[in-house]
Amino acid sequence: MGKTVRVLIAVVGIVLLINGSARATDDAWPFGPMSQYAGAVADDASVTFTRISAQTTSGTTVDVPLNIEGAGVARAEIEARTGEIEKDPSLLQQVADGWKKKHPDQPQYVKLELIRDTTQLVNGRVAGPPTPEVLATWEVRR
Amino acid sequence: MSSTRLSRVAGWFTPRIALARVAWLRTILYLFVILDMHAFVRDTRLKGEHPDLYQPLLLARIFHLPTPSVANTTALYVVLIVACVIGATNWFPRIAGWIVAPAFTWWVLIGMSDGKVDHDHLALVVALWVLPTVKSTSRGRAAYGDQTRSEAAGWAVRCVQISVIATYFLSWVAKVRSPGWNFSWPSSAILTWAIVRRPHPVGEWLLHHPWMLHVMQWVGFIAEFLSPVILWLKGRWQLIGALFFIGFHVANTAILLIHFLPTVVCWLAFAPLERVVPWLRNRRSDRDTGEAEQEPEGSGQAQQQAGA
Repeated sequence: MGKTVRVLIAVVGIVLLINGSARATDDAWPFGPMSQYAGAVADDASVTFTRISAQTTSGTTVDVPLNIEGAGVARAEIEARTGEIEKDPSLLQQVADGWKKKHPDQPQYVKLELIRDTTQLVNGRVAGPPTPEVLATWEVRR
Repeated sequence: MSSTRLSRVAGWFTPRIALARVAWLRTILYLFVILDMHAFVRDTRLKGEHPDLYQPLLLARIFHLPTPSVANTTALYVVLIVACVIGATNWFPRIAGWIVAPAFTWWVLIGMSDGKVDHDHLALVVALWVLPTVKSTSRGRAAYGDQTRSEAAGWAVRCVQISVIATYFLSWVAKVRSPGWNFSWPSSAILTWAIVRRPHPVGEWLLHHPWMLHVMQWVGFIAEFLSPVILWLKGRWQLIGALFFIGFHVANTAILLIHFLPTVVCWLAFAPLERVVPWLRNRRSDRDTGEAEQEPEGSGQAQQQAGA
């Protein structure tokens, strides 16, 4: 590979990166925009956070750990599919199954709730504790 | 543009750098890939078990990559581990490297095909594609001390350096683009938003002092915009630039729990790693002979490349 080819490859790569940052979406990875935390959030925005709350066989209520070691499902997947889960709460069954598979010795999930916490900002400050809203409920099949 | 200017530009992309630096980068980055597969992009095999959640990214569609399955993700895992171990030894590093580059790119593509794409892998992926283009003159242990300078090595190192800096500069571009091509990001409530969604003690303390978060946003915004300057800094000033951004990642880790280690490790492309072996030899010969003035062969040559 000659020097000219090397320089051309570098230049084309840079052009692709700039083009992606200016026009593309995450879909174009690795040539997409570096958009993590790139959004501007208004001072009076409401910040939402989606989580899954579980009642367990030992009578406790816990937040499901949404990662591979926990229920085997990533938070991103749940957040991306919130609408689908609202329409069809049976999708939450896989969360309970995932937990059971990974942690057979621990208390199992009996009932799952998909909850959206909304925190209101006022003048860029947190105005108070989050307001929870239950989006979907699922009685776990065992 | 005159031909001398063109050749100066071409020369900037292909500085003459010792092959030893590439040997060190091979070992460090191929071992890092193994760490990455277990600690960072670690759900690729899990995605093979749940192909129903797979949303292929553009590259996967262009190259018609198969949907992840238990069989192909397990094969990918085994191939990557074996090729990384071989590449890291600097024995057959080019063959191993040409296997690692596409295999790890596919591994990361699958890992990011669930609706969330991270932006910390650009420099590492670019590094894996350029490292095998460098022809070595020595193998195994001898490679780490090889002071033979080559434009091929320099080009590979430069590509990694550009990708590291691009990660920051393009993050700045995204921050200007995202609110509609304006400068509202640094005075917005973005860090407050991020901390509310990922609460932890340091962040919750900062929530009571929004002005501190705004200062951090301005510092990050300006630093990302200025980051390309580092490509033209030399020696100590370049080191200061590198340390600033590594400090930036430490702060991000404390505030956002985002470490960006796959980018951080690629900062080593700026380090004069080719000096490690002469330095060690120098120390050893000092100890053995007691002659502190003795200069080992090649160290003077290595000095001149600092900051290249």
